[in-house]
Amino acid sequence: MSKPTSSTTLNRRTVVKAAGAFGVMQITSPFIIKALGETPIKIGMVDPLTGVYAAVANNEVIGAKFAVEQINAKGGVLGRPLELLVEDSANDVGTGVQKTRKLIERDQVSFIIGDVNSGIAQAMAQVTAEKKVLHVVSGGHTDGITGKDCKWNVYRVCNTTRTEANSVSDLLFNKYGKKWHFITPDYAFGHTLQQAGLANLKKLGGTMTGNELTPLGTTDFSAYLIKARAANPDVLLVLPQGSDMVNCLKQIAQFGIDKQIHVAGLQQELESLEAMPPEARVGIWMFEWYWKQPGVPHIEQFVADIRKRSNGKVPTARTWFGFTSVQTYALVANHEKSLDAVKLAKALGNFELPADVKLQPNKCYYRAGDHQLMTSSFVGEALTKPAGDPEDLFRVDHVLAGDKVNPPESETGCTLNWPA
Amino acid sequence: MLQLLLFNITNGLIIGAFYVLMALGLSLILNLSNVINFAHGGFLVVGGYIAYTITPYVGFWGALLIAPPLTAVIGLVTERVLIRPLYGRDPLYSLLLTFGLAFIFEDGTRFIWGAQGKPVTVPAVLAQPLSYEFFFITGYRLFMVATVAVAVTLLFVLLRYTRLGVRIRAGTLDLETVSALGVNVGMLRSLNFAAGIFLAGLSGVLAAGQLGLEPTMGAGLLMPSFIAIIVGGVGSLTGTLLGGLLIGVASGVTAVFLPAASEAIMYVMMAVVLLIRPRGLLGEEGMMT
Repeated sequence: MSKPTSSTTLNRRTVVKAAGAFGVMQITSPFIIKALGETPIKIGMVDPLTGVYAAVANNEVIGAKFAVEQINAKGGVLGRPLELLVEDSANDVGTGVQKTRKLIERDQVSFIIGDVNSGIAQAMAQVTAEKKVLHVVSGGHTDGITGKDCKWNVYRVCNTTRTEANSVSDLLFNKYGKKWHFITPDYAFGHTLQQAGLANLKKLGGTMTGNELTPLGTTDFSAYLIKARAANPDVLLVLPQGSDMVNCLKQIAQFGIDKQIHVAGLQQELESLEAMPPEARVGIWMFEWYWKQPGVPHIEQFVADIRKRSNGKVPTARTWFGFTSVQTYALVANHEKSLDAVKLAKALGNFELPADVKLQPNKCYYRAGDHQLMTSSFVGEALTKPAGDPEDLFRVDHVLAGDKVNPPESETGCTLNWPA
Repeated sequence: MLQLLLFNITNGLIIGAFYVLMALGLSLILNLSNVINFAHGGFLVVGGYIAYTITPYVGFWGALLIAPPLTAVIGLVTERVLIRPLYGRDPLYSLLLTFGLAFIFEDGTRFIWGAQGKPVTVPAVLAQPLSYEFFFITGYRLFMVATVAVAVTLLFVLLRYTRLGVRIRAGTLDLETVSALGVNVGMLRSLNFAAGIFLAGLSGVLAAGQLGLEPTMGAGLLMPSFIAIIVGGVGSLTGTLLGGLLIGVASGVTAVFLPAASEAIMYVMMAVVLLIRPRGLLGEEGMMT
């Protein structure tokens, strides 16, 4: 007959086991603590990896991934590595919002980047504000994001349409003439860009001969170009972006219009210039960042690093947007020693980017009143023949400081409502 | 104003000619096989990218000759492997399949050639406008119209005067009877599908010279072609020809008065035709004229 056992009975075996477990815990506990320290900080990026903006979006991702690599090599954020989760918005507002929610609710990201498409970026901002997550808009330009629709948690790296217009208008007016004709993409970005250009033209004393509103995705611009040439302007301003711009400029060159009227625009991108035949690369434009800046510290290394990661292609403004968005988060989080969104958002007001991140000559900082990055505008001419490097398709004539060409905070219409 | 209007009517005819080429390929496939080929724009893009890839070796003219038949071969394989098993089923199945294929083509071209657009340079002899006055009529645009005219003529000759063409036309009316008469219907459908995709490939090469290339371009060019078929009349190749030219001219004329509506006018035309004459302007159900 065996003795009844009691749960409270201690025997030698129990003591030995307990002692052993305690001993193991003593040995392993430092490793457990270390493992917690290596838990990555997840950050999310939503961009249109498919659709008409795929080329620029993919460059933003390349820049963001490189920033993560660089940050992790230097010890990460608060001693923890960054992990970048990238989602495709498919250039669709609903999908972009859904992916943002998924990143925040399921993946528990502490920071969001995106989108190239202004409409998606604005919709994402609603979600990130509701969820109290810090959000940097990498590539959506419409003014409202840091204007009347601004949010306490949303900062923006790329420029507003107003800034783009301010950068080029004087030069176009003085160099090319005072009668302007616009070809404008028929959606929010195009409208605000055209209105900004027209406001500047009126201020300078010029006149508009016409404004052709073209549906997004237009492939044939001939009907609009026939009208534009009949109006006989001094300058034909081409405002569509991406493949629409490529098609429009290509047809302008085919029709020889650039030989009769000055062709220009308020924003240009390397991705578009590379998609054009040489004869279509004409006119004065504004770049938001350019890879060739002789004498600017760290830029050569940045270009070399990106070339290694993108089959030899140079970084574009979009690559820099993605890179800067991630670096912004790491810099401010390490500076504040916190991941708290409100604390970081407050700290980013007037936060200045260091030389190895700004990669441009002028001071580059986030304005506290509207959360817009004061970044330089690179104004110059598109090159029919590359200047040496096959990807050097733009000659920078002027680098204008961000706070010289941005409208003052009081004119943006932004009122920030901080959480209690 | 009159000059502007005339310019835009002429310009509309040039644009319409391109829609015709796309729409005829779609129409061929739809009429015989009842397949609404949403992947037609994808085949166009593939044709354009093949031309872009081989142009450095064979030049533009060589690419124009080689790329369309290569695209047709891809079409033939697609038909045999993916579409043929669905012929006996509801047309919705093939519609969904080609809808999915369109995405696969788009992502496939993006994967192979990259998301960034590619410029395609046309021969210098075609690159200039005819005159200062008629600046919008370039050598290349005239060449496009001429190519479309030749392709359309050859297609109509094929359908009217060759044994294959007669069988295709008969199959459009009654495929079961054609089959009962001993015609290999499977082969007939395959050749017909390949002919339609050949036209998509040819459209792709021509579009590449005019617009350049990017993976999403097929979707933008596909819808006007569907509208051309509906306006002209499903089942009528002559109707498709007329539909393509009409929507091109309507779009050009609208651009003079209300530029923002130049695309919407095509949809308005389609809606009006569907309301007043649902079978289209020249459409007779099941007839290929």
